[in-house]
Amino acid sequence: MRSINSILALFSREFLITYRNFADILSIFLFFLLGIMIFVFSIGPNSEIFNQIGIGIIWTLILFSNNLTLRKFYQDDFNDGSIILFHMSGLSYEIIVLIKLIAIWLFFQIPFFIIIPIATILLNIEIFNIKIIFLSFLIGSPILTSIASISGSMNLLNNKNFAIGSLIVMILSIPIIIFNVGMINASEEVIKAQLSILLGILFFFLAITPWISAACIKLALQNK
Amino acid sequence: MLLANNISFKRNTKIILDNINLTLSPRKIIHVTGNNGSGKTTLLKILTCILEPSVGQVFWNGKKIKKDPFNFYKDVTLIMDKQTSNLTLTVKENILFWKKLFSSSINMKEIDSILDLLSLREYNNTLTSNLSYGEIKKLELSRLVIEQKKLWVLDEPYLGLDNHSTNLINQTLINHIKSDGMVIFSSHFSPNVPNLEILHLENYA
Repeated sequence: MRSINSILALFSREFLITYRNFADILSIFLFFLLGIMIFVFSIGPNSEIFNQIGIGIIWTLILFSNNLTLRKFYQDDFNDGSIILFHMSGLSYEIIVLIKLIAIWLFFQIPFFIIIPIATILLNIEIFNIKIIFLSFLIGSPILTSIASISGSMNLLNNKNFAIGSLIVMILSIPIIIFNVGMINASEEVIKAQLSILLGILFFFLAITPWISAACIKLALQNK
Repeated sequence: MLLANNISFKRNTKIILDNINLTLSPRKIIHVTGNNGSGKTTLLKILTCILEPSVGQVFWNGKKIKKDPFNFYKDVTLIMDKQTSNLTLTVKENILFWKKLFSSSINMKEIDSILDLLSLREYNNTLTSNLSYGEIKKLELSRLVIEQKKLWVLDEPYLGLDNHSTNLINQTLINHIKSDGMVIFSSHFSPNVPNLEILHLENYA
């Protein structure tokens, strides 16, 4: 009961903080939409090309937008010692990571379901492909959040080179981008196979992320 | 009872703590003193199982705290030298968060009276970022009463406090040890409280 109270408290705190910093979410989505527009302006009005590469553009920008949430994960709570407080309330670092993962996914990834349709209109993508984008985003976004969590926790003591965090995310995201973009214009059988592989990657990351991030947090606390 | 046995701590090759022993029994206060960099914060972190000592063990009621830290945490409140209150939340939201996080049985009337004592009640709905350093410190210290634990570990509790608040903290410490509590704190300020034992840490260059 005590732990459930702590989990609920932590979750509602995350919600309140995100709500107070709503401008952060807005700027991420604005970045995403502006990125799409820059592609549209630079390629020109050629619907054929957009139908072929539109999904790639969307996924590339989702990945870049995801990079903007990296420091939202643990940095503030680590710097002000809140993470120690959460731990002392009876939550293991693994559970704290899991709560953060769910919170960041809900607050920073789920709203993409509203923004992606706008992007598909801008890129003139076919209806069938939009369904696939949604499905692949539903599976791909928690993977990206997990990778961001790993990168965020690995860089807790890194106050100089912020770019390295984004590099880690980009390297680890390559397979996700390949399988997500590969689904477009593929036959139904190939789509099923790709989805299965993506689900496999998702479960793999969901299984390892709490342990890896928690180990990084413990290491950072020990060396601070 | 808190017992630290032969605690040493090294970071890379630098010795920070060397062979520290301490016993903290109920109704007792330990004041950790020492120059900057002598390892006061490190010792408090080791005593609360946040850092692992290079050598030595810490026991709580005869059991190694490392074996079951969560059982130990049920009895400990740690006030760090940092401010754990979130600056984007109001004073009340921070307090309600701590109350829920630590499943505290304290009711709202008691919380209001603490805020009254700390002269923070008028800031109930003010964002913490708009408070002064001393006020944020007082808010942080209110956790001692909210958590209602037996062992208080305080890192620089007097930093940034005015005379009135310092006296209030002293009185709170006295009341706590009267009800069988234990306190260990680090500070450069020497408060006038009974049952005080001083542990001086040396610098190891």
